[in-house]
Amino acid sequence: MDKLPWLGASVKRKEDDRLLRGSGRFLDDVEETLALHLAIARCPYPHARIRRVDATRALECSGVEAVLTGEQVVARTEPITVLRPFPGSAPTVFHGMAHEVARYEGEPVVAVAAVDRYVAEDALELVDIDYEPLPHVVTVEDALRPGAPQLHATVPSNVVVESTVRAGEPDRRLADAAATVEGTFRINRVSGAPIETRGVIARWVEDTSTLELVSSTQTPHLLRAQLAHCLRMDETDVRVIAPDVGGAFGLKIGVYPEDIIAALVAIDTGRPVKWIEDRTEFFRGAAHAREAVHALTLGADGAGTLLVLRDRYLIDLGAYHGPLGPPLLTSIMLAGPYRLHDALIHRRVVLTNKVPMGAYRGYGQAESNYVREVLVDRLARRLGQDPADFRRKNLLRPDELPYKNVSGVTYDSGDYARALDLALSRVGYETFRARQKECRQQGRHVGVGMSCYVEFTGYPSSAFLGRTGARFGAYESVTLRMDRAGRAAISTGVSTFGQGTETTFAQVAASLLGLDPGDVAIHRGDSQGTPYSVGGFASRTMIAGAGAIEKAAGQIRDKMLRIAGHILDVDATALEATAGVVRRRDDPSVHVSIKRVSESAFLGHPLPPGEDPGLEATAYFDPPSSAFGYGTVVAQVEVDPRSGEFALQRYVLVHDCGTQVNPMIVEGQVQGAVAQGIAAALFEELVYDRDTGQLVNGTMVDYFMPTAADLPAFELDHLETPSPVTPFGIKGVGEGGTIAAAAAITNAVCDALAPFGVELDRLPVTAESIWRALARARAKR
Amino acid sequence: MSARVTVTVRVNGRAYERVVESRRLLVDFLRHELQLHGTHVGCEQGVCGACTVLLDGEPVKSCLMLAPQAHGRSITTVEGLAGRSELHPVQQAFRDAHALQCGYCTPGFLLGAVALANRGVALEGVALREELAGNLCRCTGYQNIVEAIERYLRQAAGGRRDG
Amino acid sequence: MKPAPLEYLAPSTAEEAVAALARFDGNARLLAGGQSLVPLLSMRLLRPTAVIDINGIPGLDRIAAGDGVIRVGALARYSALEASATIHERVPLLARAVPFVGDRQIRNRGTLGGALCHADPAGEMPLCAVTLGARMRIVGRTGRRELDAEAFFQGPYTTALEPTEMLEAVEFPDGASTEAVVVEHARRHGDFAVVSVAATGLPVPDGSWRWIRIGLGAVSDRARYARRASEGLAGTRLQPADVDAAAARCLEEAEPASDVRASAEYRRHLVPILVERALGELARRRQ
Repeated sequence: MDKLPWLGASVKRKEDDRLLRGSGRFLDDVEETLALHLAIARCPYPHARIRRVDATRALECSGVEAVLTGEQVVARTEPITVLRPFPGSAPTVFHGMAHEVARYEGEPVVAVAAVDRYVAEDALELVDIDYEPLPHVVTVEDALRPGAPQLHATVPSNVVVESTVRAGEPDRRLADAAATVEGTFRINRVSGAPIETRGVIARWVEDTSTLELVSSTQTPHLLRAQLAHCLRMDETDVRVIAPDVGGAFGLKIGVYPEDIIAALVAIDTGRPVKWIEDRTEFFRGAAHAREAVHALTLGADGAGTLLVLRDRYLIDLGAYHGPLGPPLLTSIMLAGPYRLHDALIHRRVVLTNKVPMGAYRGYGQAESNYVREVLVDRLARRLGQDPADFRRKNLLRPDELPYKNVSGVTYDSGDYARALDLALSRVGYETFRARQKECRQQGRHVGVGMSCYVEFTGYPSSAFLGRTGARFGAYESVTLRMDRAGRAAISTGVSTFGQGTETTFAQVAASLLGLDPGDVAIHRGDSQGTPYSVGGFASRTMIAGAGAIEKAAGQIRDKMLRIAGHILDVDATALEATAGVVRRRDDPSVHVSIKRVSESAFLGHPLPPGEDPGLEATAYFDPPSSAFGYGTVVAQVEVDPRSGEFALQRYVLVHDCGTQVNPMIVEGQVQGAVAQGIAAALFEELVYDRDTGQLVNGTMVDYFMPTAADLPAFELDHLETPSPVTPFGIKGVGEGGTIAAAAAITNAVCDALAPFGVELDRLPVTAESIWRALARARAKR
Repeated sequence: MSARVTVTVRVNGRAYERVVESRRLLVDFLRHELQLHGTHVGCEQGVCGACTVLLDGEPVKSCLMLAPQAHGRSITTVEGLAGRSELHPVQQAFRDAHALQCGYCTPGFLLGAVALANRGVALEGVALREELAGNLCRCTGYQNIVEAIERYLRQAAGGRRDG
Repeated sequence: MKPAPLEYLAPSTAEEAVAALARFDGNARLLAGGQSLVPLLSMRLLRPTAVIDINGIPGLDRIAAGDGVIRVGALARYSALEASATIHERVPLLARAVPFVGDRQIRNRGTLGGALCHADPAGEMPLCAVTLGARMRIVGRTGRRELDAEAFFQGPYTTALEPTEMLEAVEFPDGASTEAVVVEHARRHGDFAVVSVAATGLPVPDGSWRWIRIGLGAVSDRARYARRASEGLAGTRLQPADVDAAAARCLEEAEPASDVRASAEYRRHLVPILVERALGELARRRQ
């Protein structure tokens, strides 16, 4: 294959110019004349019967045009479908608005549309709503207790689904194990919390009887499909456009109640209807993430060979299936990068009266990495082994890959131990134990912790997704079109929210077509005029998108070579497209510009006999396999055992995401993901009061997103082991940085406090939680 | 109905006079009254800093001011930085350092950096990070933002010495 | 979240401001920095009929030394306090405390007076006021009055100000040659204190301290001057026994609550630790 000049190039981003000037076009920047603005009243209770909704006084307000109630929404729409539920899940009926019963604090109850948001909020205060609070449950344990309120008639005992994965003979192995460790871990409920909240503008186009939606979404096509279904319309009659999106991280996937509400009001009033989520609504409506409880056991033999893994875990789903569903990768990646044949993983997805859970960077992998890697350290300690040595012994070697793990997925390629060794050497591990000893003698407690991960990126084929109950495919698609100036344009349904797709797609296309990335324009995010797309999530965009670009560009390039061959009177097989020309490989002086070739295509002449005019192609690419990134995080901390205060002194991540299209963008993605990983490990938690069932800290003031002053500089390094199963060897990279933070830092703290026998089993790790762990350890002695 | 007041304000060097509702937040005034969309709303609670503008040269959070408070003042928004074709040096520094991803928080950081440069402070490392604590970013992890601003401040301080 | 309807006034004298407060009969709010007030308006937790913007009142932000006190106008912004040589030299505790407040943008707008009237139990300005024994100068319909800081703060977000009164200025004792320290534990940089300790004292050349005053923040319904602990340190050299005694007495004064930032038990645990840290730092500063 010809060299790909723009792969591996840190090309500056095309999207930067407009974003830097403040000319980005985010949802609220779209101003529609005559737009109505929505304000939504939301249930203030975790669980309540809605006895009465009276909007008479609100409707009388000057400037108020419409009111929408739950009764109307339920009568006119279908419940929200779930894009990727656990197979076998009991359904929950989740309408665009609550009617008769609301099941989480924040569930929409009535909407007012007015000339601006200020007036809409004034009018909202005039809506009379009678609530009758009902018994609530806000922990999975409470939800499972006998006599607990059943949240849905369709879900007995609040268990949406229960299933088991078994491999080998886990009970035997556990019985044989020389050493076992177990722990019960509570993982915090968090929010991806992008700086731009959700929002939507809905417009009914009378002339064509179609609905147009501008939405801050990661998935225009999937939103379109789900919304059409809810509204009982054909997809063909719904258009979804994603403008610039101010961050998403998994929570802007699929249709939300507010999309349905805006659409109905737009249809009823004939005016554009805008809803911009405020931050108070955000914490009570945008998908929550990660909360789970794991009871994990690991077993090893006396020599330190990992033998078996047993996990019973609960996912705290919230009150409904949200538009995507709960994270699914927890059990799939629980075994991690280790050699393991025997496992028992039992999971239950449980309903509680909280905001529905969705995806957040990692989609279950941060959770499974945390519980496993913390126990790996405990197991090593139990056996008197160094945690690095224990891991090295059990990490899969490159020659063992491809390797099918206990959950049935096949890791493609990688050198896991090399990432571990590199990370350890970066932190100076060889001399660390000596330094640690010295410090201890001075009364200072420093510690190093590590976490190894392997990461599931992309989806392994639409067939696989279909078999496992997903309502979307694994493919991506592009339409690639040359113009008379010899420049290219890619139309893709993928929306961008920071990952630099405009630039990286251009790099791939330019490499294949012999152009400069500056000559490749990207039109994205509009379901009209773009081929079916799935969307930006699951670290799949580059893999699937590059594959689609490769196919489409291949067709165009072949045609360009044929046309050029005709113009130059040279056989097409002797030609290559590069640096703006098509030329003979063995004699570059024989060439014709790509511009000239394009002109021919558009003039329809001169063309080889039988060749159609035009120079464009649409291609779909369905990846045959997922690709598995991997890495190791090593963290160094110092802890004050008196107060529990600690400092994260060093944070090293060595990762491998296969071929890097744009190393600068890759590094940016990893840095951002690392920050979110540390944020969830050390700072953030959505706290619900068990007695009142209410969200205690649903404001930016009380939800502790770290500032620049709270985070250290990260030390990143990378390996590049191309995947054998993806286009160009690319693996996904957007999520990996979040995976190993919690475990590495937890392990570092426990390492620092090893003389005290401290064990940590919940997140976030805070000075107070360390202090409590120290007290527990003292009490045990 | 809410009382209305007349606000005369200079924004990016241009004078505006508008009658506004007293309760209108300054950020909403800039965005929807003056159609300057580069200043963004992230929280309306004064935490995220996406709404940061320069008020008489000092960074402030425009979601924490009522529009009438801008009367007689001078405001710079991100739209006031670049020339017609050229990016402002701080914007160039961000581009070079890949200090933005989704771009939503970026205008706030840019203006804060410009204010620092105007004060002649070439902060770096932890001291700079503390100065930036009023602006949240969720995409970048801050590292490249810090690098971009460090470089920009060094350049700006160097320029001042030479010029 | 958008504010409820309100009227806006911008008086040009303190008297006009007070008259406006009276006219609205307690249903108006003074707008100074707005860093605490405006979010409350946006969330509709406060719905005043009117907002009285005092930012245009000349002289309300003045910082002046004289008669053994440093008089700071209520409208003095944090950024002005940071930049003021007078504050650094003569009210060093304020200078130490200001960097803990919010962030750069908030410090550019927020005011000393606003913070004091907001009376956040975890606020650094109330902590400084009680630690230093500041005097609050108040103007109202019937004229002017003064109040000690400890009497001014009455509970969480509650002061002794009548609805028709305005805080005009704060007088701090002239602290030239004193040392001052603030230590805090918080969940993130610039966030509200979980526990804060302010310590200030007058070092004597013989190595002792003529007096030391300790204040505790975020461990009660208001900032507390730790009287017993402070009085016990007068004349001492801050030896370990002195420090331990002070720390223990401070713990006795603490009555923290549990909230999303920390539990009451942890706050109690931190009090003596932070007191020791503050006194240790104070001792180091005299060198």
